Amino acid sequence: MNSFKAYFKKEAIEAIRTHKYLILFVGTVFWALLNPLMLKLLPIILKNYITAELTDIFTYFTRDSAFLNFLGDLFEMGTLFIAFSLMGLISNEVYRKKLTFPYSRGVDPAGMVLAKYVHYAATISIFILMAFLTNYFYINILFSGGILSIGIVLKSALLYIFYYCILLSILIFFSSIFKRSLITGITILVLGYSLSLFNRFKTIRVYFPNYLLYRAADILNIFDSSLVSTAIIYFCTTILFVFLTIYRMKKIDIA
Amino acid sequence: MIEVTGLSKKYGSLEALKSISFKVEEGSVFGFIGRNGAGKTTTMNILTGLLKFDDGKISIKGKDFLKNKHELSRLIGYLPETPSFYDYMNSYEYLNFMGEIIGCRSKNLKKTVEELLDKVKLTRQGKRRIGGYSRGMKQRLALAVAFMNSPETLFLDEPASALDPEGRMEMLELIEGMRDERITIFLSTHILNDAERVCDRICIIDEGKILLTENLSSLYKTYIQPIIDVEFEDDPEHKIEPLKKLEWVENINIESHKVSIYVKDINTARRKVLKEIANLDAGIISYRIRKSTLEDIFMRMVGKNELI
Repeated sequence: MNSFKAYFKKEAIEAIRTHKYLILFVGTVFWALLNPLMLKLLPIILKNYITAELTDIFTYFTRDSAFLNFLGDLFEMGTLFIAFSLMGLISNEVYRKKLTFPYSRGVDPAGMVLAKYVHYAATISIFILMAFLTNYFYINILFSGGILSIGIVLKSALLYIFYYCILLSILIFFSSIFKRSLITGITILVLGYSLSLFNRFKTIRVYFPNYLLYRAADILNIFDSSLVSTAIIYFCTTILFVFLTIYRMKKIDIA
Repeated sequence: MIEVTGLSKKYGSLEALKSISFKVEEGSVFGFIGRNGAGKTTTMNILTGLLKFDDGKISIKGKDFLKNKHELSRLIGYLPETPSFYDYMNSYEYLNFMGEIIGCRSKNLKKTVEELLDKVKLTRQGKRRIGGYSRGMKQRLALAVAFMNSPETLFLDEPASALDPEGRMEMLELIEGMRDERITIFLSTHILNDAERVCDRICIIDEGKILLTENLSSLYKTYIQPIIDVEFEDDPEHKIEPLKKLEWVENINIESHKVSIYVKDINTARRKVLKEIANLDAGIISYRIRKSTLEDIFMRMVGKNELI
């Protein structure tokens, strides 16, 4: 518990001083604000440069389609920002020899890994929730029509939070095995984007984390029975990757 | 007491430690000396639990290190050769962070941190970010971390290497003070004068093997053999070849124009050396016979090891 507390505080200080909070904020909340604004302003800005048909597409955006547009963009931008801002979560500590003192004084690797995971899972969850609420607020001001409600927004946000929590557990594991943080970043990015391809295959898509995003975008029926399998796999996978990271950090040579 | 038996470590095919064994008495200063790459830091990293080892046994205070690693690591302080910190933190924050890991009570922690910063003379810079510290300041902060929670055993890896002369003297005084407090110190250094000043026992390691472990006083008795220093006008490299072939000469060390002749038999050497030097046809600036220093003993031991 001592190691958990110490590392949780350390991660908070680090996130403030190395601007990680700001980067994650830009990748989620700021994007949520910018997205509906751009959707509204783009046809006005580009009216002299694009065809009338294309302008019509922009004009007919309802609250629902604006929200779905935001979901797609958040997935792309959020994954990018999370992968590259957190890619060195463990590798930077190991290979820049930051763990020499803590390990020589008996740090508990489980406490350290859990503190890192819990801290960033909480941070990402808060920012995603803020992003969805911010987006909902602006969509309501700028667009009309559709069935979008706060309930739908919160359900979608929950599935996005789950998705990024599982992605974070995979990221933290890769960060403990790859020496170079950039490899972790690229792997997470490729994994995040490529797993979406499985959403095209009805029979197997429920077994992949990106199905959470698929369901989050189905605003007419977000929570259905197919999510049970995904939820079970989600919890097992998250625990597995965090456990593997702890195991790896217990066995690793620090010097 | 630290007891190491048959400790071995391999990095791939490279044998970094070849079944080394030694004992460090409680409350003593144990000087661990060797060339770069001899295996000093590897040994330190193993003894502080940072590195796994392939074979052997380590016991600290009579307890098996592997089985009681967590408990024993709380009794150990480590000062690595190149300490690495979170540069965005200041000294207060870093020491608090380490204090929490060690399990210091929060009531005492603030006071402990202030005392430690005062001890290593960093109070004034305590609120500055560590990233802006000089190497010497980082070394002093590392020492404060090593001192946290009053460890019973301290592992110091080249503690004075980054310090200015004044800082080095302070470090040596600090080590002497700790010896008086009966703290066991495992000191790795290549500054042999420092080891000579503060250590009770010396261990020489070379190419992963222990060449010698002895008390400093008995070491001088064993290796009392004087050394003949000769300074030449010109580079003596090629001219001194005949000296190397003499049966009473053990080894010759050349440093620029100075030649140190290590002899097997000082009486024979005294009688014959001047004649042999005169035969070299080289200009001589000075000639003297002196007692062995730790540096000479080290050179002699390492030289022998190279011949094996």
